[in-house]
Amino acid sequence: MKIKRVLIIDDEESIQTVVKFGINMAAGWEVLTASSGPQGIHTAQSELIDVILLDVMMPDMDGIATFHALKTYPKTEVIPVIFLTAKAQTAEKNHFNDLGVSGVITKPFNSLDLPGQISKILHWELQS
Amino acid sequence: MKILLIEDDEAIISLLTKSLTAHRYVVDAVRDGEMGWVYGSTFEYDLIVMDLMLPKVDGMTLCQRFRAEEYTIPIVLLTAQDSSTAKIQGLNAGADDYVIKPFDVEELIARIRALLRRCSANPSLLMSWGDLLLDPVACEVTYSGQPLNLTTKEYELIELLLQDSRHVMSNDEILDRLWSSDEFPAEATVRSHIRRLRYKLQEAGAPHDFIGTLYGRGYYLKSFDQPIAPLPQPSLEAAPSLATLGANRDSTQTLQYAAFLNETWLTTQPHCLTQVEILSQAVQAFQANGLTDQLQHQAHHIAHKLVGTLGVFGLTKGEHLARRLEDLLSGAELSQPEWVIALANLVSLLQQEIQSTPTLARRSAAAQYSLAMLIIDADAGFTQALAETASQRGIKSAIAPTLEVAYQSLASSTPDMIVLRLFDPAQRLECLQTLADYLPKIPILTVANQDSLKQRLEISRWGGTFLLEQSSTFEQIVTYSVGLVQPPSADAKVMFVDDDDLWLRSLPALLEPWRFKVTTLSDPQQFWNVLQSVSPDALVLDIKMPEIDGLELCQVLRSDPQWQQLPVLFVSALEDAKTQNKAFVVGADDYLCKPVMGDDLAGRILNRLRRIKSFTQRSS
Repeated sequence: MKIKRVLIIDDEESIQTVVKFGINMAAGWEVLTASSGPQGIHTAQSELIDVILLDVMMPDMDGIATFHALKTYPKTEVIPVIFLTAKAQTAEKNHFNDLGVSGVITKPFNSLDLPGQISKILHWELQS
Repeated sequence: MKILLIEDDEAIISLLTKSLTAHRYVVDAVRDGEMGWVYGSTFEYDLIVMDLMLPKVDGMTLCQRFRAEEYTIPIVLLTAQDSSTAKIQGLNAGADDYVIKPFDVEELIARIRALLRRCSANPSLLMSWGDLLLDPVACEVTYSGQPLNLTTKEYELIELLLQDSRHVMSNDEILDRLWSSDEFPAEATVRSHIRRLRYKLQEAGAPHDFIGTLYGRGYYLKSFDQPIAPLPQPSLEAAPSLATLGANRDSTQTLQYAAFLNETWLTTQPHCLTQVEILSQAVQAFQANGLTDQLQHQAHHIAHKLVGTLGVFGLTKGEHLARRLEDLLSGAELSQPEWVIALANLVSLLQQEIQSTPTLARRSAAAQYSLAMLIIDADAGFTQALAETASQRGIKSAIAPTLEVAYQSLASSTPDMIVLRLFDPAQRLECLQTLADYLPKIPILTVANQDSLKQRLEISRWGGTFLLEQSSTFEQIVTYSVGLVQPPSADAKVMFVDDDDLWLRSLPALLEPWRFKVTTLSDPQQFWNVLQSVSPDALVLDIKMPEIDGLELCQVLRSDPQWQQLPVLFVSALEDAKTQNKAFVVGADDYLCKPVMGDDLAGRILNRLRRIKSFTQRSS
């Protein structure tokens, strides 16, 4: 499998840092980071991205608004989006699925597990 | 055992705390119903003792609330109301027992003990594991009839391990369960208690590894012969702590990841404290003027963010506190004035928790040395280079240039593994024999510069593992050594397909000591879906099944390149050579005939897992 490029959009810098390190270490994938919805949309439009990890609760433009915005641009509408959220209620997960996101990963997570979780959600074959 | 006492009468708090502590319970005492809820819903207790008449929230309401929120913890109500109506109301509210004031302390303690016994998975009074016996009434511990002179904490520690004897207790869990929430012991405290406890057990004749260490995860009671104690219920999985994060992966990755988390925590901690400070200001504003929607929204957002951040850093207690805050801030309960105080208390606890968290760098350093290696060789260049590589992988090394020095070292501490370099085959083989006799359970990795079948045979006869130096780097030597002490079974997913429901149902209990994650399937039609969703590390198939037999399933599996490496074992009542041959032809790795014992089955699965692990290590 070629090296994947992941974009994480999360306003918590420490989460970006840990996710970037964990994914890179576990699978060697490249991780780009963005601290807000608009910044993430800009990066997604200007870079080639295989998957977006999107925090749900962000100030100003939250994850859901960012997701809707991503779907309005031809270049970003095809990129699979996985929500990152500290909330795990089934109702919310169902709501996210109804929106058309590819999956939900619940915080707290171990970043070393993320490549496996992402691959499972997106049916990528993860090489050991 | 940890008890939460919710009582506003100082005299009773003092009396009960003293008496319960004397009976080796850990007690947290709070003085009103609201704090009772905060503590009871945030920390883990084995039992709650609460007064009926409490300030802020009364005992009956609190009891109902715990039950409504599905807390099943046993609750004893204390009350001065000696009427059957009050009793019935108390029991209806979800209390498990009801004690009338004034009460006899010894009777209350006996009731507590009885209740804990009833609610535990081990209804017998005595707790035992092999030759170890703990009598909770006399507070006595013996090994093979010989009494152990334990301190209170050592007693509590062995009791905790016995309560959940199939569970690996992490440092965090032990700290949470054995120390009250106003103490802030370091993780080193747990290690020193474990060390002293091991010493005392060994003095009484127990094996040196009676309390096992699972690298990076914690402590557990090792399986010896047939444990007498009944199996306890599996405890709820705690959120991953720093020590347990990624514990089942390659140890280098885990250590590097933990070290990175530690480093990142140094800059994250001040940020978290700033966030908590904003929460604290919100609470103050709330207390002064009431909470505006905007302020509530902001505080809710911060609490939510802290849940995620603290969780990702493995700070479970802080994460729980933040989650409670998030819940409170999202609800309509805030209209009740007493919840403002609960908010303030939670914020204060959260602040303390973040502040008191030792720098994670220290945690990492502690975790780094949870394995010890003894290197025996006269070549200082080799031993020091190997020790350095081991240290980078979190293994503490002792170096012995001679066998005599090795014995001196072994007399003071027992390593988890030994690396022995065999450059003078005759002499060193003797050395291997002596070591293997002296420490039969410590794995010995022998590193040789010559390759001969005779030497390999001798080494394998003495239980050693052979590694040829010219084809092995220091990194590989360390990797193999770690592999020798870390069981490949921890969390390994094993999938069983068999139409015998009874056998399938017995498997989780049969294989529990090996901590496999067992998935069972009785309908072969569902095979492919379940296989893909479980993605097992090993597959065990029956042969004779309706519609599709096991041989066909194995053929299907092996026809997909993705599943070429998956270990497949057949377990069948068919004993004939022809069937067995067929199984190997379609891609089986092993074949066992029913009836099969748990040990045999686990042993065969472990063999396959070890082989695949070693294969993966070589290929990477």
